[in-house]
Amino acid sequence: MECHGTAGQGDGPAAHLLTPRPRDFTLGRYKIRSTETGSIPTDADLVRSVRKGLYGSAMPGWETLISDNDISDVVAFVKTLSPRFASETPKEIAAGPQPVSSPQSVRRGYGVYQTLQCGKCHGSDGRGTGATATTFEDDWRQPLRAADLTEPWTFHGGPGAQDLYMRFSGGMSGTPMPSFKDSASENAMWDLANYVVSLARKPLWRMNAREVADFYAREDAEARANPVKRGQYLVDTIGCALCHSPVDEHKRLIPGLKMAGGFRIHVEPFGDYPTGNLTSDKATGLGNWTDDEIKRVLTRGILKDGTRLLPYPMDWPSFSTLKADDLNAIVAYLRSLPPVSNKVPPPSRTFLPLFLWGKFKLLVLGSDPPMIFYPGNVGSAGAGRQPLEP
Amino acid sequence: MKTFLKWTAGIVLVLAVAGFLSFLYFIPPFLTAAPETFSGPMMTAPPGLSGIADPAERAIADRGRYIVMRNGCIGCHATNGSQGPDLTKYLAGGGLKFQTPKGTFVSRNLTPDNDTGLAKRTDDELKRVLRSGVFPDGHVVPYTVMPWADLSNWTEEDRHAVVVYLRHLPAVRHQIPDPDATPSITRPGAVEQAYGGKDYGVAPAVPVE
Ligand code: HEC
Ligand code: HEC
Ligand code: HEC
Repeated sequence: MECHGTAGQGDGPAAHLLTPRPRDFTLGRYKIRSTETGSIPTDADLVRSVRKGLYGSAMPGWETLISDNDISDVVAFVKTLSPRFASETPKEIAAGPQPVSSPQSVRRGYGVYQTLQCGKCHGSDGRGTGATATTFEDDWRQPLRAADLTEPWTFHGGPGAQDLYMRFSGGMSGTPMPSFKDSASENAMWDLANYVVSLARKPLWRMNAREVADFYAREDAEARANPVKRGQYLVDTIGCALCHSPVDEHKRLIPGLKMAGGFRIHVEPFGDYPTGNLTSDKATGLGNWTDDEIKRVLTRGILKDGTRLLPYPMDWPSFSTLKADDLNAIVAYLRSLPPVSNKVPPPSRTFLPLFLWGKFKLLVLGSDPPMIFYPGNVGSAGAGRQPLEP
Repeated sequence: MKTFLKWTAGIVLVLAVAGFLSFLYFIPPFLTAAPETFSGPMMTAPPGLSGIADPAERAIADRGRYIVMRNGCIGCHATNGSQGPDLTKYLAGGGLKFQTPKGTFVSRNLTPDNDTGLAKRTDDELKRVLRSGVFPDGHVVPYTVMPWADLSNWTEEDRHAVVVYLRHLPAVRHQIPDPDATPSITRPGAVEQAYGGKDYGVAPAVPVE
């Protein structure tokens, strides 16, 4: 429910924080199928996705947590959410027996990879090198990355040649990843599957000391070469959007206001802390802040106008441990956010006697000081939509 | 003489009240002490890794240490001492209690203690919490309580590094109450009434102990 929403439309409250986004069950379009392009998946496909989870996404495997009977019930329920399951039958792909992988097959697969121009999206090396584009939108206009083919543990549908064969011939509905059924023979697709399997690099958890050092050196070099991408990774994983995006009373992102601030956090007894607009808007966002001013907030908790912040809710003491490169990357990423105008009021102190009374309760009576997150937008954008004046 | 005593007593009383009020005003010294008072310990508190013999594991744990530091796991998983968080019990949990309409959750002990910590959880179980918020007993922690929706964006390598680091924290015995699924806030509007808010209140976070 947190992810797929109460009506299964993929718009649960956590949805805007996840890449890839949760599936909208009402459309009946699934990525992981063993069926032909445009067809609905078989029950076995859905059961598999629920049991094993989708690697490389937040969808967990429920195998050891709920019984097989319950999983079938869940699948049956999910199917009722889309009318397509009642009116259509799945068209399964008839896959011949899986040929054994061999160096020859892998080499032929390399040829197929070139002919079908997989490199346009996945790069000549499977890692995006030389690709024309590696970030896409799916059919729901949500961001999506082309898979890194050297990291099979991130393939949603599983890492085996059999899994890959199904993805190649069926495509992945709703994503730019097409079906190649009509452009390649069955054998060519098996060769291709074997080739992709052969691309897999050694995962970190099997590397020796040298390889680990090389791996991290390469990761750091790539981060320095592409600070905006690195900054986005840091911002997405630290979760700046969790506080700096306003949400409605169902905790869903207010459309268009991602990272535009205006989400009010009340910290008893200190006062109200509406989160600032982090987009590059000149008048209301960070457009007019210098790099050092932004870094000062993150490392010392001091706003542009000199206001000091408490060490919570925003945990700037922890952010102060960010390495210089990573701080620069975050700033670079924030600068790249398209401007959204949303004027957010500054933090406000509690009325002095109430402030002292709150402190008294906190320190002498030992009561719990709550921190309350208020849905809604206290900023100027869309003002009047909700009566949210603090 | 009598009036003199009266006056002194009066002045002492006024001074005492004023002193107490200003004590209340400045404590805790969030806005008077230098920012470094709060950020400084964040660099040194996370236990080091000199005890790890295998160099590959040490390099991975070192990366995990950096991620745990910058992500601010300590913000919730700290253990409270008499003067704020007790940083010698790094990540032993209990520092924050969340009362939400979905139940009460207390930040857990992340040290590898046998009975009260993570020793009995497998790597895969931990990675699942860090990716999807799903616990071995099947409950799902709200992402506003334990921020797994953000942590799910970690690469598998980074998630692995964090788990490796957590495995090498010094074990601290600290029993944390299990989450309680009865909603702490049942009456709609109760939060607003209690704390004067006008809009919808969600997930007030409350320190315990
Ligand atoms: C138009 C761009 C595009 C082209 C061309 C393309 N892909 Fe993809 N591919 C994608 C995207 C985008 C994804 C990620 C989909 C997702 O995450 O839901 C993907 C995912 C994948 C996956 C991961 C599947 C999984 O289970 O998650 C594999 C393997 C793959 N592609 C292989 C290939 C091969 C081999 C070719 C050439 C035959 C190819 N792709 C051509 C865009 C493309
Ligand atoms: C727990 C909630 C929370 C998280 C997570 C958070 N912030 Fe903040 N942030 C706040 C609050 C509260 C303020 C103070 C009010 C304000 O913005 O003036 C603030 C202020 C700021 C400001 C000053 C903005 C201004 O206009 O005054 C910047 C810049 C900022 N945060 C950046 C970030 C970045 C970058 C991240 C992620 C690394 C982040 N924040 C994560 C709550 C949060
Ligand atoms: C906003 C507060 C918060 C932050 C920040 C936070 N956690 Fe948590 N975490 C919690 C709470 C509360 C629980 C207990 C949830 C429950 O019992 O259902 C928890 C549970 C966990 C668990 C499961 C423990 C178990 O017993 O299986 C792990 C692992 C964990 N957190 C790791 C982390 C890591 C690593 C970070 C830093 C990246 C982190 N947490 C940051 C609040 C937080």
